[in-house]
Amino acid sequence: MSRRVLTVDDDPDITMFVKTVLEENGYTPLVARNGEAGLSMARDESPDLIILDVLMPKQSGIRMYRELKSDESLKNIPVIILSGIAKRTFLRSQEALTEFGDQPIPEPDVYMEKPVEPLELAETVKGLIG
Amino acid sequence: MKMDKILLIDDEEDILEVLSLSLRSDGYDVITAASGEKGLEAFERESPLIVLTDLRMPGIDGLDVLKRVKNTNPDAEVIVITGHGDMDSAIDALRYGASDFVNKPVREEALQIALKRAKEKLVIREKLRAYTLDLENMCHIAIGEVKRKSDFQDKLITSSNDGIVATDENGIIVVFNPGAEAIFGVSRIEVVRKTDFANLFPPEIADVFSLMFKSGKDMGDVGWKEITICRKNKSDVPVRFSTTLLYDGEDIIGSVGFFQDLSEIKHLEQELVKSERLAAIGQTVARLAHYIKNILTGLKGGTYIVNIGLDKNDTDKLRAGWCMVEKNVGRISSLVFDLLAYSRERAPEYRSCHPNDIVEDVCELMEGMAMENQIKVVRDFGPRVREVSMDPDMVHRTLLNLVSNAIDACIFDYDNTKQHEVRVKTRLEKGNIIRFEVADNGCGMDEEVRSKIFTAFFSTKGGKGTGLGLLVIQKLVYEHGGSIDILSEVGKGSAFTVRLPYRKVP
Repeated sequence: MSRRVLTVDDDPDITMFVKTVLEENGYTPLVARNGEAGLSMARDESPDLIILDVLMPKQSGIRMYRELKSDESLKNIPVIILSGIAKRTFLRSQEALTEFGDQPIPEPDVYMEKPVEPLELAETVKGLIG
Repeated sequence: MKMDKILLIDDEEDILEVLSLSLRSDGYDVITAASGEKGLEAFERESPLIVLTDLRMPGIDGLDVLKRVKNTNPDAEVIVITGHGDMDSAIDALRYGASDFVNKPVREEALQIALKRAKEKLVIREKLRAYTLDLENMCHIAIGEVKRKSDFQDKLITSSNDGIVATDENGIIVVFNPGAEAIFGVSRIEVVRKTDFANLFPPEIADVFSLMFKSGKDMGDVGWKEITICRKNKSDVPVRFSTTLLYDGEDIIGSVGFFQDLSEIKHLEQELVKSERLAAIGQTVARLAHYIKNILTGLKGGTYIVNIGLDKNDTDKLRAGWCMVEKNVGRISSLVFDLLAYSRERAPEYRSCHPNDIVEDVCELMEGMAMENQIKVVRDFGPRVREVSMDPDMVHRTLLNLVSNAIDACIFDYDNTKQHEVRVKTRLEKGNIIRFEVADNGCGMDEEVRSKIFTAFFSTKGGKGTGLGLLVIQKLVYEHGGSIDILSEVGKGSAFTVRLPYRKVP
């Protein structure tokens, strides 16, 4: 059975693009449109990898990433952050949350800034889950 | 004070005896001495305050006694007894400080009067001494107090960060504290009592002082003034200053000026403005960059999918990819339009048009997107809305933005039990106004979002919105002389009402 990859993004163009890249490279794509839906889908489907956007309506990627990493059953799923915001900004927002009393959490496995090349994305996915 | 003790000195024993008997019977405590020498001894020993002495005596005579007594105790009253007709001696004695003289033979009444006067003098002198002492004490206390106050004021003036410059009534500088030295760049020694305000102050300040002296009136309500002082060989100092005349009762006794160095404050203000501007630019650029990155991703993604479609001869992929490319090209052009519209003044271009047709066109444009998301577009056009003259592009742009927002509000609403719909309404209102209304039953806005929707680059649409749309709409509506009103409730939906005045078609 092919590896399943959950992509969470509010922009249908991005999900369409990522979905196509995944399909072309032999993965099974799953799509969610915001953090809340993404999290419940992650729980229901236990994907092999999650590709996560940061700025989304409803629950943002910043929060969803924390939830993923603090959930025993989900924390081992590798995560690629794919976002228009800089890595620095994302990490700083995580540090800020940690300072506010949340548990420190590990950095994402891979951080990619939009726009991303299809080949680069495919190889990154391959590097993480084969 | 022992005023009843009298020292009586006379070399004639009988006189000594008669007088002393008579004085004792008057209640005096009488000490007698038969010579000048003995008299002085007794004076030293008994310290009487009244001395009655004969002038002519062998050895130390009355004048010597007088001098020595006065020397020992200037307060002692010395009455001299003179021989009949010896007026010169009497005058001599008075010159040396005798308080009175009586002639020989000594008559009872004359002596009594002389003694009474001597006693009165003693009393008065004693009182005077007490007063003087009191006065001196008071003076001492007062001086101490004044000194303390003046020390305090001195310290106050010296340690004040503000520059304090005081002049006397002629405008000569008399106080110039370290704060003033720092502001004017000259030392105290160079100016105090050496120059007047006109030489020290720049003309703007000097004029204020001259006017004040001339009119005898303070700056009054003017309060603080801001000016720049050019220092010798140094940079300019921005200062705030205030001045007032000093009065003693009605008389002008001088003036004082207070100067506050504003360099630091000005510097901080500039820094603040600069950093705020940089922050605003930074934020704008960051948001724009983020939005453009999303568009680029869409374009790249679209091209990628188109290429796959071409490679595999897959028309579905080809269509989907091309659709993405087109959509993102559209996003870029609307971003550019928004940016231009937001930054540029634009006068409405009035043309004949049918508002209902424009709105219908918008509905048709958006219907595809609405249907994709199971949203119904409901049209409710007022039949009395006819051909008018207004800016059709502006109406189109405004309605397109509002309907697109309404559809997004429905998409963002996760309540799946609702049949989402966007209701577009037009009505004719009194006063040549057309009301356009776009209402949805989507997610609605809370107070916080509601308060920010006209803020530049604020967006609830994650990476999808520029955060400029409503701002541009508001600007266009205002430029057209119209108004925009919003009703919104979380979970129930939002309604945007735009009222635009029109001109009648000629």
